Amino acid sequence: MSAPKNTEQRDLFRGALEMMVLRTVLREPMHGYALVQHIKQRSNELLQVEEGSLYPALQRLLKEGLLKAEWEISASNRRVRTYRITPAGKKHLEREIVSFERMLEGIALVLAPAES
Amino acid sequence: MTWLKQLFRRQKLFSDLDEEIQQHLAEKTEALIAEGVSREDAERAAKREFGNVTSIQERSREAWIWPLAESLWSDTKLAIRQLRKNFGFALTAIGTLALGIGATAAIFSLVNTVLLRPLPFPEQDRLMWLAQQDHSLPGAVSESLSYPDYFDWRAQSHTFSGIASYNGDGVTLESEGGSERLDAQTVSANLFQVLGVAPMLGRDFRWEDEKPGNRTVMLSYSLWQSTFGAAKDIVGKTIRMDEHAYTVAGVMPKGFQFPLENPAPALWLSLARDADGKEPKTGQRGFDVLEVVGRLKPGVTAEQAKADLSLIAGNLARQYPDNNKHFTSALVEQELQHLTGDTRPALRVLFGAVTLVLLIVCANVAGLLLARGARRSGEFALRAALGASRAAIIRQLLVEALTISLCGGAAGVALAYGLVHASLRLVPLEIPRMETASIDGSVLLFDVLLSLITGLLFGMLPAWRMSQLTPAQSLRGGSRGVAGGRGQSGIHNGLVVAQTVIGLVLLVSAGLLMRSFVHILNVDPGFDPKRVLTVRIGVSFDKLNHDQRFQFYQRLLARVSSLPGVQSASSGWPLPMSNSNVTISFGIEGRPLAKGDEPNESLSVAMPGYFETMRIPLVSGRTFDERDGTKGAPTIIINRAFANKYFPGENPVGKHIQARLGDEVFEHPVREIIGVVGDIKQKQLTSDAEPQYYLPYAQAVVTNPPLVIRSSGDPAVVQGAIRAAVHEMDPSVPVYHVSTLQDNISKSAAQPRFQAFLLTCFAAVALTLAAMGLYGLLSYMVVQRSLEIGVRMALGAQRTDVLGWIVRRGLSLALIGVTLGLAISAVVTRVLAGMLYSIRPTDPVTFAVTTGLLLLVSVAASSVPAYRAARMDPIKALREQ
Repeated sequence: MSAPKNTEQRDLFRGALEMMVLRTVLREPMHGYALVQHIKQRSNELLQVEEGSLYPALQRLLKEGLLKAEWEISASNRRVRTYRITPAGKKHLEREIVSFERMLEGIALVLAPAES
Repeated sequence: MTWLKQLFRRQKLFSDLDEEIQQHLAEKTEALIAEGVSREDAERAAKREFGNVTSIQERSREAWIWPLAESLWSDTKLAIRQLRKNFGFALTAIGTLALGIGATAAIFSLVNTVLLRPLPFPEQDRLMWLAQQDHSLPGAVSESLSYPDYFDWRAQSHTFSGIASYNGDGVTLESEGGSERLDAQTVSANLFQVLGVAPMLGRDFRWEDEKPGNRTVMLSYSLWQSTFGAAKDIVGKTIRMDEHAYTVAGVMPKGFQFPLENPAPALWLSLARDADGKEPKTGQRGFDVLEVVGRLKPGVTAEQAKADLSLIAGNLARQYPDNNKHFTSALVEQELQHLTGDTRPALRVLFGAVTLVLLIVCANVAGLLLARGARRSGEFALRAALGASRAAIIRQLLVEALTISLCGGAAGVALAYGLVHASLRLVPLEIPRMETASIDGSVLLFDVLLSLITGLLFGMLPAWRMSQLTPAQSLRGGSRGVAGGRGQSGIHNGLVVAQTVIGLVLLVSAGLLMRSFVHILNVDPGFDPKRVLTVRIGVSFDKLNHDQRFQFYQRLLARVSSLPGVQSASSGWPLPMSNSNVTISFGIEGRPLAKGDEPNESLSVAMPGYFETMRIPLVSGRTFDERDGTKGAPTIIINRAFANKYFPGENPVGKHIQARLGDEVFEHPVREIIGVVGDIKQKQLTSDAEPQYYLPYAQAVVTNPPLVIRSSGDPAVVQGAIRAAVHEMDPSVPVYHVSTLQDNISKSAAQPRFQAFLLTCFAAVALTLAAMGLYGLLSYMVVQRSLEIGVRMALGAQRTDVLGWIVRRGLSLALIGVTLGLAISAVVTRVLAGMLYSIRPTDPVTFAVTTGLLLLVSVAASSVPAYRAARMDPIKALREQ
């Protein structure tokens, strides 16, 4: 009952998790567990993502055709489902990054000490 | 992609997802073990960091599905499983609902048939019932038209595409097998055209058919089938009725009926019938007997039509003051409204009552669900802990409620079917169109909507309650708290009080109607209806002259009087409660008035012995005898109401009255009042006595007065002998409408009986449900508080204390309900005022008795759980906790 509420709190903004996932698999196809570890490490453990909350996001991305998934055998000889970005995913990511940067700029301007 | 393929693909997607999550957990666990954590701790940590697996699976799946539709389906499956598990609960809830929904659907079916369904004519909303309005009385009393008035309206109005007249009568159809009495309507040539229905065989009436000598007849489908063997060549043939030849114009289609009343006319006769003779009815402006229906021109409103016709009526009033002086305006009313107007308030009250029953049903089932929900709070807390969202829990509970209500609705349809068929037998046939009531598509639709609405209504409260629970609390408290949550029992109490309130309102209403009905049955009609047979005979108007017809009656009555089993026999018209009534104007000697200003009162004709046979008491003077014959001095008898109105403080006997009615021998003679008789209930038992005057039949040979025969035993026994006596005198005279006065009176009380019966049924159901609700609440309380009761008893409370405690609890709820209910009843019963006879809507006796009954039933309902609580073994109760 408490789960959805907390996820919202942890999400920086809508679509942030999706953006990070797309960015990560753009560099290198990956399976779920590895994705979680990667995002955790790369964000200097700043983002305390509840590991499971990645999966609904992955399903949404699959549904929208931004990712595709295939069962493979990993280096550690484990059956894993590897996610790859699709061309549509790449385009979506570019758009998202642009709008994200614009938003950051805006926030930075507001937060900057007033110049008289 | 078809949805089927999608469904299969989805199965694969979901199994992939589950496997993926399992792999994730396994990998995490191994990683943690590699860091030196024990396997057990590693598994727990992996799960903790992953989050709620079920919830995440669910949210992941939601990306793929139409979330609502699919979860509804799974909720429904779950609901059915739950109900099967709790069969007793399901049966109670569904049964209660079936009762409420079934009764409501049945009443709706009647309301729909009688009030809502359009008339079976094209563009029926343009059909208007027309009448002129008599302004000589306070208010405007609607009055039938005479033929000359009708012809003027027809010719001069410009707001109608057609105006047609009709006038009911009986005719005797002669055939080789004998004679048959049929209900007929004499109609203008354009009636079928105005209604918009063409004959299925032959031709429509034409204007020539209204001219004298052109008697034409239109057959109904059923008469064509039964009497004429459905012969196609009947068109153009001649049939004989009342000693006249009629040409068959055609046959109306199956199911066509007009006017829509009982009995349905078997045939329609052209106006030529009333245009014959020396002084034809079509020429008499004072002969106000026609009913008139018109079809508005497209785009014309009823107000415009009223203005149009009122203008014509006003002109006629100026032109013909003798007859029309006071008929200065017209009444224009929707034909449907005219047909159903009388029954509208009664059906509205019944519909209101059944809605109240339905509300009690909802409150009752909501109480059941609440009690059951409290027992299931553990289940829902667990569900919430496992990741079910609040919305999911509300949804599931609502789906359960809707499943129950739809099952109830399905059972309700079956019940409604039975109720409609049963009530058609009880229903007075005077209610037009009632006999065609059935469970049709619109009733089914209503039933489904009703089920959904009731489901939401009674499901909402428990669902909302359940979703408020915090899982930790409920799980800790278990299903057997010391006392169910405060809010919980508050709502439950509220439901029980609401049921008591509604129950009392229904009880009071039913009580009022019942007492009113008893009053009606105890009304003294002014005559003695016991063992009096009434028989109509069709003596020919044309074969016998004035004196011969009177003599026929005289000889027939002498013959019938001497039959074994007959005490006395006479004849008179109109019989009380026979729906026939005619008012004729008159002048009182010594009080000259212009003819148009003369008063009107009800006229009757009677053979000697009529008052004795009917046992109408003589107040002063004498009754009719052989002196008042065809050669005697003209005489008249008045009733007490007439004497009080026109001769207050005087002795009317010996005074003279000139009634404006005569026959071919006695035209308008001045008549001497020879007696005053008691008042009788002429129209209905509930109406006040009206002034009436009686003429001896010998001196006013109009219509065929029915025979009244008082028998010494069962009146049915002499029936055959009377028939034989008539046929011995003249085999061509039909004997029909054989009935008893008692039957006529019960028919007149049929509508109040029907209303009182139905409302009493509803009240009984409501009382039972309210008692069940109270019983359920207290039983639940006893179970919930068994620990508390146990402790009290262990601390020295006596069994009688416990008993008193529970009963007091039930009684205090009932008292709150009764107090509110009495206040509401006092307001609500006002709508009944029009249906009550000689009883006020706030009759204190009814209020007191029904309140007492309700409290008594409440005590009874409380005492069973109270007794159970008092019998409780405190040791056992404490140990069980």
